Amino acid sequence: MSLPLRRVVLVDDHDLFRAGVRSELGPTVQVVGEAASVLEAVPLIKALDPDVVLLDVHLPDGGGHAVIAQVAPERPGVRFLALSVSDAAEDVIDVIRAGARGYVTKTISGAELTEAIHRTADGDAVFSPRLAGFVLDAFRNGDAAADAELDQLTAREREVLQLIARGYKYKEIAARLHLSARTVESHVSSVLRKLQLSSRHELTRWAAERRLI
Amino acid sequence: MSVRPLRLTVALPRITRVERDRVLAGVCSGVAEALAMDVTLVRLTFAVLSFASGAGIVAYLGAWALLPAPGEGQPPRRRRIAGTVLLVWSVILALRGLGLSDSLVWPLALIGAGAALATGSATLGLDQRRARLTAMVLTIAGIATFVGGNRHGTATTLLAPGAVAAALLLLLGPWAWRLGRERDAERAERIRTQERADFAARVHDSVLQTLALIQRNPDDPRRVATLARRQERELRSWLYPDREPAAGGTLADAVETAAAEIEELHGIRVDVVRTGDAPLDERTGVLVLAAREAMTNAAKHSGADEISVFVDAAPGRVALYVRDRGAGFDPGSVAADRKGISESIRGRMERVGGTATIVSSPGNGTDVELELLS
Repeated sequence: MSLPLRRVVLVDDHDLFRAGVRSELGPTVQVVGEAASVLEAVPLIKALDPDVVLLDVHLPDGGGHAVIAQVAPERPGVRFLALSVSDAAEDVIDVIRAGARGYVTKTISGAELTEAIHRTADGDAVFSPRLAGFVLDAFRNGDAAADAELDQLTAREREVLQLIARGYKYKEIAARLHLSARTVESHVSSVLRKLQLSSRHELTRWAAERRLI
Repeated sequence: MSVRPLRLTVALPRITRVERDRVLAGVCSGVAEALAMDVTLVRLTFAVLSFASGAGIVAYLGAWALLPAPGEGQPPRRRRIAGTVLLVWSVILALRGLGLSDSLVWPLALIGAGAALATGSATLGLDQRRARLTAMVLTIAGIATFVGGNRHGTATTLLAPGAVAAALLLLLGPWAWRLGRERDAERAERIRTQERADFAARVHDSVLQTLALIQRNPDDPRRVATLARRQERELRSWLYPDREPAAGGTLADAVETAAAEIEELHGIRVDVVRTGDAPLDERTGVLVLAAREAMTNAAKHSGADEISVFVDAAPGRVALYVRDRGAGFDPGSVAADRKGISESIRGRMERVGGTATIVSSPGNGTDVELELLS
């Protein structure tokens, strides 16, 4: 299977980490630019118009969500993948709600990260087990009957998220649930959409209350 | 590292008598040291004051009695009281020497004694309440004496001391203010220094030790990874203190602790994801033990380099999943006497009314699902 070359911008304030990522990414990913702050990142991304931006959740002059907020309206084709060592659920949910297509932790292996970049570039949602845990928490059912459709997960979506949280890959989930990989992906994308569009007040309240997971 | 508790001290320099270059009792040297002044200047002041009806001599004796000897604690109470009385007396003598009339000196002396009692009662080891009361009486008496003595006085008797007081204020005001400022700055600096020391100690005890260990084991990637993971966990719990397990503990915290132990013991990565939480009781405690056993099995036998653990706790149902992508095994072929799975996992879960499902096949890793319904 030949994968198209993806152009990527790295936004992270740690030189060492950027260097590490650069050396670990596969040959199908080309790092075209790097930035260490929101201020640097915004004009750079606008100028380079990459396929994917690998975005640190925490930046010295504002969170990763600030970058998305300033770039996305002008460059709707650029996709963002959040990357963090952070344990703070609210920060992660912030970036996702700003428009990132997924979240992975920095302990991810180079091969997995390369794969995640390709999936992000294809418009898929990339959920790490930890993000799945966060999202399940965020959508924990309260008075489900009163909630709009956007505000709750379907049984299938919940099932898929639980398997991701258990460490299953999309392919493994598909095999276990007797679905196609494409269907699994569409469930995850649907969860992402709900997360981004839902005005569910529990989401905000939850993020405020449970600062950390 | 021991952290000294911060104590607010009275903004007065601590004066003790000084052994080194003393002439008599070391009072002048002590005062000079505390005020960072030249000894000769202090000695000269005492000498000049002696001409004011011997005020300097009385003040010296008072200070001698009052100030602690070098390397010793506070002098006995009687000595301190005598010293204070002598000091107040010397002030009276000095004021009279300045040419102030008795009608002004005595009220001032009474008020001064009152003030000395009010501020110094603790140092003098007196009963606080009684000292305050006496101080109040002395002050009122002083004011009364002043008002009574000056009923027929001229304007000059009021003006002259007013001028002296203003002059003193002008002279000493800036010095006292600066002293106060320096104390504040010093205290802030001390707090900063202590924080820095605390941080340095933390970094030294943990991070630097780990880095040293890593440098010593560069050829053992597993060991290096374990060391890094342990360090990460330690720093995390320090940076995000909310995450430190509560005293009673919860299910998810207990699972994280167990996972950390497995990482330590077997040098394998254990990723714990959690949603919801439940209190740790007898049943959930058993659940943790069963999960720990599943993790141990995965660490020992699977050959995988990572174990995924998911804690899913909701009201009425608590589930725990342990998964690895290692060698796997055929559950049917495991000898009945192999205690690990049959006893430690299944038996345990059944005894608390839960279930354990183990899915595995050679080459496909192992999946352990533990469930407790309430």
